Amino acid sequence: MKKEIAITAYKCRKCGKLHYPFHDRCLECKGREFEKIKPQGNAKLLTYTAIFNLPWGFDQRFLIIGVAEFENKVKAMGQIKADSVDQLKVGMKVKPSWEPVRVQYGEDVYGLKFEPMK
Amino acid sequence: MRDVAIIGVGMIPFGRRDEDTLMDMLAYASLKALDDARLGEKSVDAVYVANMGGGILQRQTAIASSLVDRLSLLPAAAETIENGPASGASAIKNGMLGIAAGFYETVLVVGGEKMREVTGWRATDFVASMTHPQAEYPYGITLPGMAGMFTRLGMEKHGVTREHLLAVSLKNQEMGTLNPYAHVEMALDRDGIFDSPHAVVNNPTSADPLHLYDLCPVSDGAAAIVLSSVDFAKKLGKPYAVIAGFGQATDTHTLAEREDPTDLKAVTLAAQQAFAMAKIKPADIDVGMWPNYTMPLPSSKSPRVNMSVFSRRGRAAKPPQPVRLVSVVRSRSTSPAA
Repeated sequence: MKKEIAITAYKCRKCGKLHYPFHDRCLECKGREFEKIKPQGNAKLLTYTAIFNLPWGFDQRFLIIGVAEFENKVKAMGQIKADSVDQLKVGMKVKPSWEPVRVQYGEDVYGLKFEPMK
Repeated sequence: MRDVAIIGVGMIPFGRRDEDTLMDMLAYASLKALDDARLGEKSVDAVYVANMGGGILQRQTAIASSLVDRLSLLPAAAETIENGPASGASAIKNGMLGIAAGFYETVLVVGGEKMREVTGWRATDFVASMTHPQAEYPYGITLPGMAGMFTRLGMEKHGVTREHLLAVSLKNQEMGTLNPYAHVEMALDRDGIFDSPHAVVNNPTSADPLHLYDLCPVSDGAAAIVLSSVDFAKKLGKPYAVIAGFGQATDTHTLAEREDPTDLKAVTLAAQQAFAMAKIKPADIDVGMWPNYTMPLPSSKSPRVNMSVFSRRGRAAKPPQPVRLVSVVRSRSTSPAA
């Protein structure tokens, strides 16, 4: 079953600046009231890397990780579903999903994944 | 605020030092600096130890107090400074402030890391612990990975190529052969790490587009300096350096929230502060250093940036031509990260 993307962005009620992750005060105007925003639509890939020297806790040979911007401007990091960076380009459209990104203490940890769109 | 002098320095060779504990390395570097300062049996007022990994890698805390005890500097004030890869510069800054404020007369600052105690996977995970615990860390991002994403942006925006990175890599590697303290003292040629078919084996991708030799090694090592007031330094009858300026600035924690990640805002602001305090311009600088775990982008991840400008004053009666060094100390001043 497809899971809902469980991250929340925070839009400053005073100046409108969008934040992800949470800050106690707005980075622009120091406001403390935020409207909770869900990332929406597909996303645009802003940058990416393929990491071959992974941290402890990952069994893969490599991981592709990137930062993408959703249609409602929320920017977030996620794992990229691709076999190689050769399939990627800065600015390309990617489809977000909420899937296991690692295993910790025998449990799946869910997070953002982005899949390149044709 | 009064001027602060550097009266002694000490460093031990970096590398894989299986025979030494973290405390051994901190002690060796400290003694070298204390001896260089010709302090003899005299103590210092305070000790600042820069260290990021002790609590995680060695399961040791309150390291500064332990060092004061080992060095017989009791009852000197002792503090450990953890500020990610900027710990070394932060410790120097804190020592400097104590003297500049007139509160201390002499301060020992020492930084050290023992990263080879654990496997590469553990060391990489330890360094990644400074990424955002919810928005970044769970994805398996590493610091070289962050640097890879910054470099990708630099390639898109400024036309940086792998050849540009290669030139920096070869230059740095050559400098390593001239440095008796360097972990890797091995000259490389372009063919071996770039042109030949063996290059993919010798210099594999670590965090695309960065390759092995674009990154620094993971090392054990330590370095120390002794700071004092200028009045104290003058009485020693030996050359000393004066800290002419420093700066420090912070940028957003997550890479995704930087307005323009290639802009290195914290570095720029820290540099501006340091230059303003030193009353000099970038054109006045003779030697610059950007210690970091990756060469291409000095502010690749850490939001914390410290910058110091040093000028050298000798004992000469005539005002000597100052040699100005600018040091953007944003990686740990002691050992490179994973």
